[in-house]
Amino acid sequence: MAQLEVRDLQVVFGGLRAVDGMNFDVEQGEILCLLGPNGAGKSTTLDLICGKTQPTGGSIRFRDTEISQLLEFRRARLGIGRKFQVPSVYKELTVAENLSVARSSRPGIWHALTTPAVRRNQKSREILDLVGLADKGGVPAGNLSHGETQWLEIAMLIAQGSHLILMDEPTAGMTIQETDRTARIFRSLSADHTLIVVEHDMSFVRTVADRIIVMDQGAKLAEGTIAEIEANEAVKTAYLGH
Amino acid sequence: MNSKLSYDIIGLGLFGAVILFGVPAFFSYDGFELNTFARYLSLAIVSMALALSWGTAGLLNLGQAATFGMGSYAMAMHLKLKASGDNLPDFMGWNNVEALPALWVPFNSLTFTLLAGLLIPAAVGGLIATFMFRARIAGVFVAVITLAFLVAFQLLVIEQQGFTGGQNGLTGLAQLELFGWTVDIYATSFYYLVGGCLMAALIFGLYLTHSKFGLVLRAIREDAERTRYFGYNVANYQTLIFCISAGLAGLAGMLYALVLEFASPTYMSVSFSLAIVIWCAVGGRESVLAAAMGAILVNLAEGRLSDVFVEGWHMMLGVLFVAVVMFMPRGIYGVIVDAGRALRRRGGSEEFAETPSFDTPLNTKQES
Repeated sequence: MAQLEVRDLQVVFGGLRAVDGMNFDVEQGEILCLLGPNGAGKSTTLDLICGKTQPTGGSIRFRDTEISQLLEFRRARLGIGRKFQVPSVYKELTVAENLSVARSSRPGIWHALTTPAVRRNQKSREILDLVGLADKGGVPAGNLSHGETQWLEIAMLIAQGSHLILMDEPTAGMTIQETDRTARIFRSLSADHTLIVVEHDMSFVRTVADRIIVMDQGAKLAEGTIAEIEANEAVKTAYLGH
Repeated sequence: MNSKLSYDIIGLGLFGAVILFGVPAFFSYDGFELNTFARYLSLAIVSMALALSWGTAGLLNLGQAATFGMGSYAMAMHLKLKASGDNLPDFMGWNNVEALPALWVPFNSLTFTLLAGLLIPAAVGGLIATFMFRARIAGVFVAVITLAFLVAFQLLVIEQQGFTGGQNGLTGLAQLELFGWTVDIYATSFYYLVGGCLMAALIFGLYLTHSKFGLVLRAIREDAERTRYFGYNVANYQTLIFCISAGLAGLAGMLYALVLEFASPTYMSVSFSLAIVIWCAVGGRESVLAAAMGAILVNLAEGRLSDVFVEGWHMMLGVLFVAVVMFMPRGIYGVIVDAGRALRRRGGSEEFAETPSFDTPLNTKQES
């Protein structure tokens, strides 16, 4: 039984079939990379899984629960985390406060009312150490550099403790060193978390991906390991156009 | 414990000392002056209530005066019944109302009145909030809907003359008897009652803003969408803070009706509701304490200046508001925090990072 099972997933935006009959499974602890040309439906697939977009057909089962009709916060509570393409940390809150918001294993109001805003504990320190923000807990997130902002967001996803994390271009705008560090963080994550990553940086994909799905025009074009994908004729045609 | 919390506790302590000891001593316990000041304190409660919903959660409630008015009418109805004894309240006779309306009957009970003054505004606020926030209405539309509710509610109160006294409101009230203590609004004890209520409301407000509840609300103010993906039910958080804010406005209304000894539809006017926004903005909407001080300072200025400049006062208030919005968008609070940060930076301390950033302006998309 796979952790995530997507069947015949489709969504139509005013006549455009952005995702048209996607089928795939994701196993626990796997890092799956979604590749494809612009407009292939990669980000939309992530949107459909996390609840940002409602599907017009098909089913999404996560840990044996049908989630395709649930509101996004209910899906988050089941253990689906999302990182958006644009870094979306809370700029007015400090790094520690951002992390505290992300630690949402108990998202109810009563728990929130009886808990202080920020609790410094071992777990938070470990996460901040992992992403190299340990000495910046009191800094407003708006004052961080671009790379630091990306890591803060990754730290928030780790703190959220989701079983499945959906990442949309996590290395966009990062330097080579930052990308390497992100790849290392991702590899260390896969023990506890399943990841679906949309990414264009092929060297990054080579480093982290267990499996790759190539999408084109809303549907799955090819699936396999990096070696299989690189040898696939259909993929070459879609990318190179001959 | 972070430094922001300790500053707030110090600020609250200083504020409490000034309000509870400084002010009565300054006025040499003069009943009339203290009564005037008690009026400012009750308005400080409604201003801090707005800071909770507007400053913390980014929900600009322009209908705050409606819930304030509900509290004041609850109290006035009880006192009117008490003043009328076994007879019908006088205005009902003038409006050909033969028997006491069912709406009025429970207000014979003091306990019911006190609960109603808090819970009816909270319930009404909660009902509006439920509809708004489940439909994910945000930003300026919250202000428009609450403003429309305010206008409709004020019209309803004025129209239903037989039940509410119409344009005249409820006048000729008895003195409140609170558990055997007859409240004399010109006594020092009454001043302490209002001051005590304000302090309790501020402690409650500071508790909320320093809890994770307050943190999640600030996160929602900045990016509600993102906060949903962490599993928070955003609508529930917004509804609760809206409820609490409306309940506190009701409390302020009850005290206000006591101070002025009448309740009037002018308490629910648009201009009064906008005045609350001005007090809150002048003090600084991010801090409940600053919003309370804003209300006291503006009203103090109004009390002193409107005698001298009868016609010009409203102009001055308008200029003040424009100046605050343009030159100190975070109110007096922002100026003080900025100054404190600059001082510490000059002192070479590296601790300045603890306070929020002022280089990034407040997210304007959530507000008007």
